[in-house]
Amino acid sequence: MPFLHERLDNGLDVVAETSPAALSTSVGFFVKTGSRDETDALWGTSHFLEHMVFKGTPDLPGDEINRRLDRMGASANAFTSEEDTVYYAIVLPEQQPEAVELLARMMRPALRDEDFATEKLVILEEIRMYDDQPPFGADERCRAAFFGGHPLARSVLGTVESIQALPVEAMRDYHRRRYAPGNMVLAATGAVDFPALVAAARRLCGDWEPQPAAERLEPVPAAAASRDLVVRPTAALEYAVRMSAGPDERSADRFAAKLLATVLGDSSGSRLYWAFVDSGVAEQASLHHHEFLDAGLFVTQLSCDADDTDSLLDRILEIYGDAAAGGITAAEFAQARNKVASRVVLSGERPRRRLFEVGGEWAHAQVYRSVADALRIVESLTRDDLHRVAATWPLTGPAATVLAGPRPA
Amino acid sequence: MKQTLFSATLDNGITLLGEELPGVESVAIAFHAPAGAVHDGQGRSGLATLSGEMCLRGAGGRTGRQIVEALEAAGVQWSQAVSSSHASFSGAMVARQLPEALPVYADIVRRPRLPEDQLEAARQMVLQNLAGIEDDPGHRVMTALREMHFPAPWGTPSEGLTADVERLDGAAVRDFIAAHVRPAGTIIAVAGRIDWDDFVHRIEALFGDWRAGDAEAVTTGPRGPRLRHVPHDSQQTHVALAWSAPPYRSDESYEATAALAILGGGSSSRLFTEVRERRGLCYSVSSGYQTHRDFAMALGYAGTTAARAQETLDVMLAEIDRLPGTITADEVERVKARAKSGLVMQQESSAARAGAIARQWYHLGHVRTLAEELARYDRLTVDSIEAWLAAGPPRDLTVVSLGREPLEVPRALSA
Repeated sequence: MPFLHERLDNGLDVVAETSPAALSTSVGFFVKTGSRDETDALWGTSHFLEHMVFKGTPDLPGDEINRRLDRMGASANAFTSEEDTVYYAIVLPEQQPEAVELLARMMRPALRDEDFATEKLVILEEIRMYDDQPPFGADERCRAAFFGGHPLARSVLGTVESIQALPVEAMRDYHRRRYAPGNMVLAATGAVDFPALVAAARRLCGDWEPQPAAERLEPVPAAAASRDLVVRPTAALEYAVRMSAGPDERSADRFAAKLLATVLGDSSGSRLYWAFVDSGVAEQASLHHHEFLDAGLFVTQLSCDADDTDSLLDRILEIYGDAAAGGITAAEFAQARNKVASRVVLSGERPRRRLFEVGGEWAHAQVYRSVADALRIVESLTRDDLHRVAATWPLTGPAATVLAGPRPA
Repeated sequence: MKQTLFSATLDNGITLLGEELPGVESVAIAFHAPAGAVHDGQGRSGLATLSGEMCLRGAGGRTGRQIVEALEAAGVQWSQAVSSSHASFSGAMVARQLPEALPVYADIVRRPRLPEDQLEAARQMVLQNLAGIEDDPGHRVMTALREMHFPAPWGTPSEGLTADVERLDGAAVRDFIAAHVRPAGTIIAVAGRIDWDDFVHRIEALFGDWRAGDAEAVTTGPRGPRLRHVPHDSQQTHVALAWSAPPYRSDESYEATAALAILGGGSSSRLFTEVRERRGLCYSVSSGYQTHRDFAMALGYAGTTAARAQETLDVMLAEIDRLPGTITADEVERVKARAKSGLVMQQESSAARAGAIARQWYHLGHVRTLAEELARYDRLTVDSIEAWLAAGPPRDLTVVSLGREPLEVPRALSA
């Protein structure tokens, strides 16, 4: 699968991993902007803007965008995170020109007053929808507690208050600054006609005005232990989220961190699974590693009867302590490594999954990693790497913990 | 596009299905035994689910833990699920691992140990899952809709009811598995990088001598109430509605699913346009289709703040009402394009194809080729969809709401 890259004069990167025999073409714009690039006054703008991009350009109404996507049989959507806003379409190869043209035009939305007012209502519904669902906001509260004054403390959706207070002019200004060509990547995977992709990018995006780059990184404050409670009197279970520090995206240890999390807290066959899920003591008990540009997190999630939460959290810390003390066995290490290697191969054969890997890694680090490269990294890891990561980033160290459930404050 | 499909039937009635996908390294396999929740029996809801879970807690020479370790050490992404009709054990892996995984699955299906000392843990796992569902309003409203719309036991939630699950015992699980995990009606589907002859040979060696008695027929009972409100402490009210549609095996299911896609299947659909894009009434609104072998339902769903829920329901009902007689050629073209590209792209996923061929066999007794399916979509027209709508317009709706306050349902639609 060859990798191809071209940079336009205005700074827009065009990248592709091409597999000519693929049945589909995945194409997407990766905008290097998310909730961490907002201020308190702009809280939730990145995600709200992602919705507004589907509401049309000055010469293309939102209804027409939706009709065109459906008419080309596209599986198309967008998502916003703390650090990225991604728009994508997965189409049959013959639809590449139309998909690229539509997505490119969408990147210069009209941001009309009346659409802004209507879509604001949709965003408020989305906030309430998540607030009604487990873990009832405990994950966002926990991140806010962990990051304190750092920009990563802000949730992606914003709050009812921040969205209600947001003026459309602020969004227009944010779009102008953040959707600059040097801050975006056009990526494609699958059966890609790369020369046509670059030509289309020149024609459709070549006149986008460059903007000065903004500094995104900010020192992360040292983690302090904290504990907080969200009261949901009628909840059947209690949902606990615990966050402690882990390696960030710049650290070579992040691969070992993911494997460590697989050994300890994968959704099946892990230490937490056998201790709590298999025995029916908890509905869920898991550990994940999550990385940002300049920060990393180990996230423990537990859901169980509220009476059991405290004792189970204690037992989880004991399991973490054992692992750090060199307790990962050769067999469980091999099992986790084979599992992760198999995931790399299986997800690697789907162009749609590759789009997010290829586009995301280029947007963050200007690197390309093939499936074979990713596999080599997994296969090079050793048990010592996991023990070293567990010692460097102690899972039993200072952590933010938030519980959401029926127990009274 | 070239497609390579295989099928075979063993003497004991097991159906083997295969599809070779060019250019993939993976293989996906699924064992579907006819041990679904429709066989739970009165007062024993959750029995199929508990039994499916117990199959993994020791089989052949392995303990439950050894089963999981054997599969995961071979890099198998495994899963287990129980639906109304089937207990399914599935796995996706790099193709060279299949010979190692097959004997493990054969033990799970044929030789579960059903250890008494694991029953309590398995029961607690099912109960934890039920408690989690109680906190999930979207899941609850859809469960209620199926329960009301489909006749029992086809609408009964396969996850069971807490009071029933608490009373199930080891004898019930053993009897259930002996009666329903059986070769006749079992489908084994494999897709991806396969060597079909080798696969059939291996399955014959592992399953060829499996014998069992006759299957029990399922007695279909009455339907539930048409209208219901489920009190739930949430900011949003969730509303789901359903009416009858032809099952998948009916040729008209193509017209039905096309009409439903026009109503609420994509971002240019009528519900998305009218409810979300024009009025901003909600984040989630859609229509869909769910089928059993003998009956199916058309359904609509929306979740929105309590104060705007009535208006949301009213707009949804008006759009459903407006559907017959107003289908446009452009809408039909969009639906066809989406369906066709979805079918082609499915060929990139071993797991999706293993699921699709098994589903078709269960519903139709054969597998439709991609060419047949594409040709059938080509025959969709405004007239064919309108003819279906005219013959069975949406009426006699089942409507369920979940939230703090009930909603008003106009008489004409619910009567």
